Amino acid sequence: MVGLAFVSPWLVGFLLFTLLPVVLSFYYSLCDYSLLEGPLYRGADNYRELMRDAVFWKAMGNTIYYAGISLPLGMIVALGVALLLNSKIRGLSIYRTIVFLPSLVPAVASAMLWSWLFNSKLGLINFLLLKLGVSDPPGWLTDVRWAMPALILMSVWGVGNTVVIYLAGLQDVPRELYEAADLDGASTLRKIWHVTLPCISPVIFFNLIMGIIGSLQVFGVPYIMTGGGPARSTYFFTMYLYDNAFVYLKMGYASAMAWVQLLIVLALTGLAFWSSKRWVHHQGK
Amino acid sequence: MKPVLKQMRFVTIALLVALAIGILALGPRSGTSVPSDRVVVDYWEKWTGQEEKQMRAIVDDFNQTVGAEKKIYVNYVSTSNITQKTLVACAAGVPPDVAGLWSRNLIQFALVGALEPLEDMARAYGITEETYKPICWKTCSFDGHLYALVSTPAAVALIYNKKLFAQSATELRAAGLDPDRAPRTLDELDAYARVLTKLDERGRFIVAGYLPTEPGWYLDQTHLWFGGSFWDAGSKRFTLTDERVVKAYEWVQSYSTRYGKQATSDFRSGAGHYDSPQNPFLAGKVAMVLQGPWMANVIYKAKPGMSTMQWSREVEMTKPLAERLTNYEWAAAPFPSAVQGFEDVSYCSLDVLVIPKLARHKKEAMEFIAYVNRQDVMEKLCKSHCKNTPLAKVSEDFLTQHPNPYIDVFERLLSSENCQSDPQMPILPQTYAEIVNIAQRLTLQQTTAGPALAEAQKTLQAKFDAYESLRAARGK
Repeated sequence: MVGLAFVSPWLVGFLLFTLLPVVLSFYYSLCDYSLLEGPLYRGADNYRELMRDAVFWKAMGNTIYYAGISLPLGMIVALGVALLLNSKIRGLSIYRTIVFLPSLVPAVASAMLWSWLFNSKLGLINFLLLKLGVSDPPGWLTDVRWAMPALILMSVWGVGNTVVIYLAGLQDVPRELYEAADLDGASTLRKIWHVTLPCISPVIFFNLIMGIIGSLQVFGVPYIMTGGGPARSTYFFTMYLYDNAFVYLKMGYASAMAWVQLLIVLALTGLAFWSSKRWVHHQGK
Repeated sequence: MKPVLKQMRFVTIALLVALAIGILALGPRSGTSVPSDRVVVDYWEKWTGQEEKQMRAIVDDFNQTVGAEKKIYVNYVSTSNITQKTLVACAAGVPPDVAGLWSRNLIQFALVGALEPLEDMARAYGITEETYKPICWKTCSFDGHLYALVSTPAAVALIYNKKLFAQSATELRAAGLDPDRAPRTLDELDAYARVLTKLDERGRFIVAGYLPTEPGWYLDQTHLWFGGSFWDAGSKRFTLTDERVVKAYEWVQSYSTRYGKQATSDFRSGAGHYDSPQNPFLAGKVAMVLQGPWMANVIYKAKPGMSTMQWSREVEMTKPLAERLTNYEWAAAPFPSAVQGFEDVSYCSLDVLVIPKLARHKKEAMEFIAYVNRQDVMEKLCKSHCKNTPLAKVSEDFLTQHPNPYIDVFERLLSSENCQSDPQMPILPQTYAEIVNIAQRLTLQQTTAGPALAEAQKTLQAKFDAYESLRAARGK
């Protein structure tokens, strides 16, 4: 009882503000619900409508495209930077701070900043491209071919958090394994492949799971930078969900979308867990 | 750690804690103190910056005069995402007493019973259909009820750069066009645009005569200037495949066909914020735009040289209206229509004040809304926001002392029978999202108007029919 009493603030908070909304959102996903009128049960109609909704599939495709590239790219870049920052060089703490700094910039500020960088006429990126001899630099945020790559490129800028997690993992790799590898005459790449990566595989796994969840929920930055355009080329799943909930007043439909999103995240996370048996190595096991 | 370092750390932390406590104890306090004998009316409004400041001045005036007399205090709360927040507050049963929405949100809110009908309360203050310009009253009314009253309205018009016209005077004359006036038909507008457009060797715009996508805020209203409508309220059918609507969006696409999708999208991409000197119209990069009367304020703030060619604003205001016009590098005229004889066509959008159904102080809220709708107050507000007035009665002072010297043009448009506002239908946001998407795809040459509109007709009609069947299931 004493234990329950101590845990009750969290328990009550969890039940009221997490579990209850989750249960209610599932019920609403089976209803017509505008928030201002009571829910009207309509079975699986919302889910059936989703399957026929071209905008839903467009948004889903865009999200998969974004996640499919930004997630591995971000993980590889973050790992590369972490490996570099794990070496013994002068001014290391300064470099680490520089890499982490973008993570501290609020999303809205970074979106505004990158909007200017990507400006085709006045932006620094195209200015540099012109200086480098690119005669026809892209209209980053207004060209359907370039808007998504621009957002993916920008996502890499914020890998500071992931780098810090990798760095913590790298610090834990036992020195004696490197010494043993040195005695065996292993090259740097061999050491990374056979020592570093297996040792930090739990960290990679953690970043993968967080990355899957984060990239499938991308919303704020593209919402500010492109508003989903041009011609819905950067219109993501969560944007459509938000529009349905708060612009079109279709809260039931939005709830159904949220559950589809949850199932996708669960499936991908489950897949990652299933595959982890083959490539994640826990020390002491 | 060395003892000195330990001490320094302790001192630093102690100083920071002392600073935090000091700020909490002695720092800035809210400037407002509500007299205890007043009913507090919570007023959520979307405006920020100058517009907020100007509306706050109206609120302060109210609090010091009518409010003081009737024991009401209006508490202005600047609220971003006003529609969403009002919606959530209404659903939670704790809405503001007054909310400043956009007219295009009204039907959605009214249909779910979230708004208080105002006709009886308005009548008590002498506000009737005759008080307003017809389009303003019509926009605020739905299904036999009045759901809102206007705070600031605006009609849109063609705003053109006289200097760019003068610089191309010879070429304009050679093309049979008068450089001293605005185009009067849509064909003329296209002809002016062709002459005024200057391209570089790569075919990119140095100056664009006109581009439907610049700034592109009213792409979803283009059909109005072709005499079309995408919705037939009588039959409850979308009419997106109507010849006039198709023609309108073919016209939108014609600009990207003529100059290339790359040049057109590059132009938008290179444009700065509309409220800055990098606004292409202010930067002299586009000669004609479809915009509202507020552009006068934007120009004056971001590039005052365009509005003070001879005198400062203060001196200009002492001159007769005809003389004031010579102080400007730009002018305004009705946006030309594609249909002969179909004149003074415009689109009207309103900022409106509503009282949510569950508001706690409806009577007091109406007192404030009625105050805003007094002719002197309304004209003061609309002048400061550089917009039209919704009132049928317009003072001479409003027309001659308005910061936009062409306000008479905008007033004529707002009073015109060819001025339209948003169709009163429940799935308007989805419809606009679809039309804007089509316009973007047309500009990017991804599709053509006929098939794209036919596809949207099918999709939107299905959405509307589904909406109707759900209403029926709810017994409405």
